[in-house]
Amino acid sequence: MINLAYKDVMHTLGKFTVTAMGVGMLLGIVLIMIGVYRGMMVDAETLLKDINADVWVVQEHTLGPFAEASRVHEDLKDTLKGIQGVDKTAAFTFQNLQLPKESTPVRVVAVGFDPFGEVDVINRARLVKGTGLTHDHFQIVVSKVTGFDVGDKILLGRDTYNVVGVTVGTVSSGGDPLVYVSLKDAQKLQFLYSNAQIRNDRDRGIPVSSETHMVNAVIATLKPGFDVDSVANDIQRWKHLSVYTRAEQKDILTKNLIERASKQIGLFTVILVLVSTIIIALIIYTMTLEKMKEIAIMKLIGIPNSMIIKMIVQETILLGFLAFLFGNLFSHLIYEKFPKRVVLDAPDALALFVIVILASILASFIGVRKVIHADPTSAIGG
Amino acid sequence: MSDKSNKQEQSIRVENLVKQFGKGESLVEVIKGASFTIYKGELVALIAPSGAGKTTLLMMIGCVLEPTSGQIYIGEEKVYDNRWLTQNTRSIRREKIGFIFQAHYLIPFLNVIENITLLPQTNGISKEDSEASARKILNYFDIEEKAYAMPSELSGGQNQRVAIARALANKPDIILADEPTAALDMDRSINVVKMLKQIAAEQNVAVIMVTHDERMLKYCDRVMKVENKKVVFQEFEKEGG
Repeated sequence: MINLAYKDVMHTLGKFTVTAMGVGMLLGIVLIMIGVYRGMMVDAETLLKDINADVWVVQEHTLGPFAEASRVHEDLKDTLKGIQGVDKTAAFTFQNLQLPKESTPVRVVAVGFDPFGEVDVINRARLVKGTGLTHDHFQIVVSKVTGFDVGDKILLGRDTYNVVGVTVGTVSSGGDPLVYVSLKDAQKLQFLYSNAQIRNDRDRGIPVSSETHMVNAVIATLKPGFDVDSVANDIQRWKHLSVYTRAEQKDILTKNLIERASKQIGLFTVILVLVSTIIIALIIYTMTLEKMKEIAIMKLIGIPNSMIIKMIVQETILLGFLAFLFGNLFSHLIYEKFPKRVVLDAPDALALFVIVILASILASFIGVRKVIHADPTSAIGG
Repeated sequence: MSDKSNKQEQSIRVENLVKQFGKGESLVEVIKGASFTIYKGELVALIAPSGAGKTTLLMMIGCVLEPTSGQIYIGEEKVYDNRWLTQNTRSIRREKIGFIFQAHYLIPFLNVIENITLLPQTNGISKEDSEASARKILNYFDIEEKAYAMPSELSGGQNQRVAIARALANKPDIILADEPTAALDMDRSINVVKMLKQIAAEQNVAVIMVTHDERMLKYCDRVMKVENKKVVFQEFEKEGG
């Protein structure tokens, strides 16, 4: 049996392919949008996974360093050891910094930790050059995307830091590159005022605090066999602090912080899918209109509607399928050019494929309707 | 009515066919009690002034437009008796009627042999059998070498021959030709009409040809005219007669 759709597509192959490429670029953007969302999720969890803490202890009534300002005493890491079930502890600071660079400063999130402590936050699998922190002072490990390399010098605050290591794939929940400095340096950068500020405060009668032994959070890992929730409750009750388990911290990062962004991206994605569907429908409608004379003739000479409808639906599905392939190709060609992480997951592509095919079938209805209502008598009389 | 009355096999018979459009005061009667029989092997011209109802008549006997009342037989089968006797009039067209239009109206994305075999294959005939049959028809029209050409690659005359070949492909009882010479010059028009006459005789099929060109009438077996809403057969001078 002659496949009308195949014959028609082959007859206008160039036009059909270019049309599919156009729709494909739209679908490629849809995939990129989904990839941006996935990237945000991955970014949000990167640091959490690298630190791999069972509980996060932060200032009372705050959500912790990623969502709200939090300050706790550094020595909390020692007092937590008194809680039954706590194994290792570590104190951290998190702060935004602008690394000075010739052209434009590079915005980063600096993680301060004790390089000789119980928890090393630098994931060795991500360290592609140099070493981790080996000294208490003036060393920095940077993310590769900052553009700095091992041996470079970076002026931060009053001091010059040596780049001793380069990592890849290390980003904060906001997508900014991570850098690692020692806890002492980080405390100095975050809490120590400049000389001029200290003099100014003295003149105003404001007592100058030399207390820099504050951190943004203390984490703890638990000994095997202890229930996370139960230990978290103990810390909260006795230390008057807010405590979050790993799952709760993940929820804070993925739900509280990027919920709006993900909704925004989700809405964009839905709109783009709708626009793609409308475009496919319009293309099919136009293609059907172009064939109305042939359709009227086919109906007049006795070709059943089912054959003509099959042609329209098959062409629409083929258009959707080709557009999906081009969309995938397009998104894979450009996704690395985006400044923030874009994660192209196969299940997302599969879901989009199903949506595109369903949307194509839906879009073909407009052409099918035109076929059903085509008047065969219009073929008579020239 | 000067109906031909011999023992020939009937191709189409119409009795008291009526077609009205509209209702009440806006009711218009286009065809009023038409009765005639066309036999296999005949080429019959259908003439009438513009707007007299010849296209309406052609569409009714082509099972495209439903009459208001009357009876229609195609071959020996009654297909209309004040209502269609089958729900699927398209299958009647597919199996019993061939159509030829003013322009060739071939499907532009199908090649010559696909255009010709589309209907037979839709009727359930295998690709091999329908292609073998199509090749015979193409050979008959002397364009077998164009079997795999696209319509856009053929001349106007070749396309018209392919269109006639398509009308023959489903071995119809009747071929309805709607002004097949309207777009052709005199010589080509005569060739097409002679070809239709030859087809009618050799393929034993009735051909009803709508025409405005009275110069073509002499090549036909009979001339049918829509006059005052009635169908009449008119006298005319035959070629060589």
